[in-house]
Amino acid sequence: MITQEEIQTYISSIPPSPTILKSVLKHIQEGELSKAANEASQEPALKVYLQAIVNKPIYGFKNDIKDVGQIFGVLGLVQAEQLVYNYMISLLSPSQWELFSLTNKDFADIQDILGLQWKRILEYKNITDKTLYSAISLLPASIIVCEALFKSKRDEVDLLRSVKDIDYSTILKRLTGMDLFDLCQTIASTWELPEIISKVVLASSGCSDEKDKEIIELSKWMHLLFFYQLSQAVCVEAGLNDFIDFNIDYVSDIYEEFQTIIMEENA
Amino acid sequence: MRAVVKNKIGVFHPQGFLDGTTAPSLLTIEDIHATEALNVNMMLVSLEKVVYFNKNGLNVFVELLESLHLKTGLIVGFCDYDDKKYASILKFYHNAINFSLFRTHKVATLFSSSMQEKKEKKSVLVWHEDPSQRSALAIELFDRGHDPIVCQTYDEFNDKKNQTDLYESIVYNSYLGMLGSKIATRVTGNAIIYTLSGFLDAEITNQFDVTYHNNSLNVGFTLFIFDAYKVISMNIHALNFFSKLATAGAEFGANICIVGMTFEKTPPAFKDELEDAGLLFFESMDDILGDKELLKDLGGSGGATKTNKRALNKVLVNELPRFINATVNTMEMMTNSKAQKQDVKIDTLQISETKDRLASSIGFYGNIDGMVILVFPLSIAKKSCELLLGEETDNVEDILDTLAEFVNIIAGRVKALLAEHNISVDITLPRTYENVDELLSTVNERKGVQVNLDFEGESFTFFLTR
Repeated sequence: MITQEEIQTYISSIPPSPTILKSVLKHIQEGELSKAANEASQEPALKVYLQAIVNKPIYGFKNDIKDVGQIFGVLGLVQAEQLVYNYMISLLSPSQWELFSLTNKDFADIQDILGLQWKRILEYKNITDKTLYSAISLLPASIIVCEALFKSKRDEVDLLRSVKDIDYSTILKRLTGMDLFDLCQTIASTWELPEIISKVVLASSGCSDEKDKEIIELSKWMHLLFFYQLSQAVCVEAGLNDFIDFNIDYVSDIYEEFQTIIMEENA
Repeated sequence: MRAVVKNKIGVFHPQGFLDGTTAPSLLTIEDIHATEALNVNMMLVSLEKVVYFNKNGLNVFVELLESLHLKTGLIVGFCDYDDKKYASILKFYHNAINFSLFRTHKVATLFSSSMQEKKEKKSVLVWHEDPSQRSALAIELFDRGHDPIVCQTYDEFNDKKNQTDLYESIVYNSYLGMLGSKIATRVTGNAIIYTLSGFLDAEITNQFDVTYHNNSLNVGFTLFIFDAYKVISMNIHALNFFSKLATAGAEFGANICIVGMTFEKTPPAFKDELEDAGLLFFESMDDILGDKELLKDLGGSGGATKTNKRALNKVLVNELPRFINATVNTMEMMTNSKAQKQDVKIDTLQISETKDRLASSIGFYGNIDGMVILVFPLSIAKKSCELLLGEETDNVEDILDTLAEFVNIIAGRVKALLAEHNISVDITLPRTYENVDELLSTVNERKGVQVNLDFEGESFTFFLTR
């Protein structure tokens, strides 16, 4: 169904991260928001992306914000970095979704909601490492990778899944030895994202060999948050609810806290 | 959401969080209809991967499932939950549960009205705090050929639960709601046993799965036993039903037996009429199953099909490429390797090497009918199963179970391909053979199209017959 060669072809099709984005991120990481904004303004697509995202109701700003400097200013370093990473990931998304019933706007909404809720979780846990706030940006790449690899295999997968409750990531792993999260890690590596990001995302599959307790703890929150999002109507209708396997045991010890922080807040 | 269908049980597997907002997207009426069309007799929602649910969310599923039950008589409910979820469901619905609850999918299969072949009777430990549920669970298990061990107190249950050599399955934290109206069916050796109860009237034609019966005839079963211990009486409509069944079975050399029927409240003349129609009456099940000679004569010991030598027809041969393509594509998908066609011939099934070979078959019926048989070298069978099992295995039972799923996939694919050409077929339950000699004796002298395929140096056989 999917061979090692197809995986290699996909990996080699991942473009290098655009120089301008690297530069924007470097300035943000150095705390130079105005320099970052200047750089970002040179990239029209990024500018439009930021304007569209930041003026969504979920960000709660009363007035339209157009200027990139203002956008970065109101968002702050952490969210500015997260949004630039989200933009990078969105560059991989297809112009037309086939496997999942999504639009690029739906995908961007999923990124935004995950980003805001992840921020809430990290703040609750008093985590100050700014890089970790951007870790969530890599997670939705699993959806893009799945779309790219399986869009022409839908009938075969449907047949397989008609007799066995098996998710896309597991199918991929059994056929090629690599799952969707391994491929997210490859994207992170190609784009030279900080190692901690790919480690947390890889562990958030709920079935990695990660030993670091701190990473495991964060990955549990990420796993549960992802499934909270994948249970929302837009994701269910898109066919995302069961594209990866939910490891309920993996998150059992954090579930009640999650309920308090995310579910009750959202209610 | 699509259901996974196995052994005529359709199971939906939602994940994550389930509330009144999300549940309508997770399970729709279209999903229910699509699964119903697969000829299932039980439809369940697995709660295994649901971390949170509330009553509003569950209600959406319950309403859909209950209306399905009222319309079709299918058994509906939930499965795969832990003690906490079970307690929550009871709390939500306390005295008004109309659906069934099965602690695991495996427990649900014990209550399915069509069971796959099993080698021997299985002991099942049963506990429920409510005595009427306890009895209902035990009766339904017994009707399906199991040997229930009913615990009368919680202490007894706790005590016996630890004696794992006492039972093979355990049923607790399960609840029988509205049961299916289909007649329970089980397979023992090569005999198919239908369990009847109460008053037999015109309703029997709705309760009896005639397509399952016809397909059992098609795939080589010749002994059908109606367990009628619990039948009180029958009327003329039931008499006609049995007569027609006997006539239809005669073409296949089938023997239809009625066991344990008393004629206290049924006209004795009915018995004479049914005997004239070819039905056989026995006092107890042991009179048949315990008598090896008789069992052999009746065809319940794996003997050959006596009369079914229906020829391949043009319509079936025309569709042959679709069958082969579906098989090859599925094999390639499952093994991630390429197949090469070696030779094609029309003849009886010829297997030169029967050692280390496994086989599976599946029947199809509708606009066209027939049977697909696949004979696998053990190595290819193991490789084909790895994708579904996730690991290498030498456990033959696991491999056979997976081969059954495998042949189901192929049949599903064929069904879809034929549908594109306006040919409508349904498929039977798959059957597996650990011993190819058993398969050969079942297909006997039937002619068919045999295609030998090469998968990485190993020969794999496809056989299409009627």
